[in-house]
Amino acid sequence: MSLFTRTLPWFLIALALPSYASDDWGDDAWGDEDEQEIQLHGFVELGAGWRTSDDRVLADDDMTLGELRGRIESETYLGDTRYSGKFDLYADGVDGGLQMNLREALADFSLTDNLDLRLGHQVLTWGTGDLVFLNDLFAKDWQSFFSGRDDEYLKAPSTSLKLAWYGEQANLDLVWTPVFANDSYIEGERFSYFSPMSGSQVAAPAGKVTPDHPDETFENGEFALRLHGTAQLFGQSSTEWAVYGYRGFWKQPNAVSVQGRAYFSRLNSLGASLRTNIASGIGHSEIAWYNGADDAGSDPLLPNNQLRFLLGYEQELLPKLTMGLQYYSERTLDYQALAANDGNSLYRPDENRELWTMRLTYSAMQDNLILSWFSFYSPTDQDYYHRPSAKYRFNDELSLTVGGNIFGGEQAHTFFGQFEDASNLYARLRWSY
Amino acid sequence: MRKFNLIKALLAVVSLSTAGTLQAADLQDADAIVERANLVSYYAGDDGRSEARMLIKDAQGREQKRQFTILRRDRSEGGEQDFLVVFSRPADVRNTVFLVSKKPGNDDDRWLYLPGLDLVKRISAGDKRTSFVGSHYFYEDVSGRGTEEDSHVLLETNATHYVIENTPVDASSVEFSKYIAWINKDTFLPEKIEYQDDNGALYRRVEVLASADVQGHITVTKSRVSDLRSGGQTTLEFRFQKYDLGMEQAVFSERSLRKPPREWLKR
Repeated sequence: MSLFTRTLPWFLIALALPSYASDDWGDDAWGDEDEQEIQLHGFVELGAGWRTSDDRVLADDDMTLGELRGRIESETYLGDTRYSGKFDLYADGVDGGLQMNLREALADFSLTDNLDLRLGHQVLTWGTGDLVFLNDLFAKDWQSFFSGRDDEYLKAPSTSLKLAWYGEQANLDLVWTPVFANDSYIEGERFSYFSPMSGSQVAAPAGKVTPDHPDETFENGEFALRLHGTAQLFGQSSTEWAVYGYRGFWKQPNAVSVQGRAYFSRLNSLGASLRTNIASGIGHSEIAWYNGADDAGSDPLLPNNQLRFLLGYEQELLPKLTMGLQYYSERTLDYQALAANDGNSLYRPDENRELWTMRLTYSAMQDNLILSWFSFYSPTDQDYYHRPSAKYRFNDELSLTVGGNIFGGEQAHTFFGQFEDASNLYARLRWSY
Repeated sequence: MRKFNLIKALLAVVSLSTAGTLQAADLQDADAIVERANLVSYYAGDDGRSEARMLIKDAQGREQKRQFTILRRDRSEGGEQDFLVVFSRPADVRNTVFLVSKKPGNDDDRWLYLPGLDLVKRISAGDKRTSFVGSHYFYEDVSGRGTEEDSHVLLETNATHYVIENTPVDASSVEFSKYIAWINKDTFLPEKIEYQDDNGALYRRVEVLASADVQGHITVTKSRVSDLRSGGQTTLEFRFQKYDLGMEQAVFSERSLRKPPREWLKR
């Protein structure tokens, strides 16, 4: 924490001082959003998180989050082109040092009446899952997610070109990411992980994952496609349908070379989704077929192909109380071939990994208090991940979020079970401007 | 991430306005008066845009602000409508976009775009009598309450107003036992609405503070809702209203959530 306090960027706090000038709109001009004038917005946030138990394989394991973060964002139009930038600077007491994070630097314009182009560093999202991803193969930041940063940071930006074409019956999105953008996965620094190779929990320095990345060639760029539209399939409601395609790599380094080095292996996927109003709630379903480099499924050093399926429903139970449920299954294909070739691994995943999620959201005090609980529970892995949180908005500038990331499971090697010692409680105080 | 709770619902007051006014004999039929007031309040022109801002004060005098631009298009007069609401203030909801397809008699279709995640989230039809974006306005105050959901009795016709008592058909679905509306005889604008609880006590008031003629439509430019129990209140102002811009249906689609239509949003 000493580094943390030493590098305190006071200038960011000064930037964020809110204007308490008027107690009414007064003469506050409506022209606030004048497009000619460049506006600066953002926030300053102080965040701290503590592990709820020891992680014996990590050298310095007290804090999972300790940072002072400043965000500056701005946007402007030049002609009909919108330029937008978002930039974070933060003093990180866990990884150490002053860190920079470019969240967005893009240009957005229309080529024709029905063709939009978005070019640059950007966050991209599609698909129907709530914190469960099938056809959304854009980069995620799991370290931020596990450590209690704002949900926004789960989505990592990539430098991409997005073409969106809008037709009468259907619309087409095409995203090209020239240089493969992998997830920010659990690599053994902030959080340790289970290594099937050693059969134990490992962490940096020895256990740090340092994978080989795909060469930066055109051939290795990522291509993602979505054909989507709406139709009146069920009653009066509009049903959203989509078909997806992806050519790229697994976003986490889950392949191992014969030299024993982790790398990102080839992944192509095809999928589809539906989302509509059902009763007084929202129902959604999504399917994806993951097709990798190991077609026969017999190479234990490569991930097998998978079939992923999701079914979900969300509804308001009482005024201001909403509940969402999802069922997800991940079927490993060619399972017999894997089982015959992995040397009877103790850590072989189940042929069908099933997962349930539940989200409860309650807002009170004129929406100034938001209570939320999100849980993942896998009956097949017998593990879980709970994400309780409470956010209180003192006013338009200041908010406090407290929450937890609670992992556990029956076995040390399962998806969530391996992160049992990563369980943490956190608090974030944010000043927006 | 939970901004969508803050931005609970749709804002349609963009169009509190009326068709041309004629001096005529007093109407006797309460249902006809209410139908006309509904059209005047929520269906001016075939489409419209407005900028809006709210000043929310709680009982302790603490203030919050909201500012947004609303686009509206009617699919049919008195029937289905689409709304796009683009927030510019406060900072934590800036560039959040809300899309609603209003379907009287059915659940509305609603979407929310969260720019930080590039996420288009579909949200379920919720209780329409809960806070809209943290204000004292309810979703229903601004999108309109179905005229068939209450029975209407004309209590009084005075020199300036029709005074109408509205009693819910399904009393269990609302928090009031009845409400009284003062509807201007010339403009058919409901200028004051007062809500009573089960004990007949007055606890909530919605009132028009200012209105103006915009392209021949009487249009609310300032209104206020008061929570008489807590002492909190929200003032809502509208500016830069325009009607009959010729917006196409395609404006109200996922494209506009991800890329708000500047052509219609700019003044």
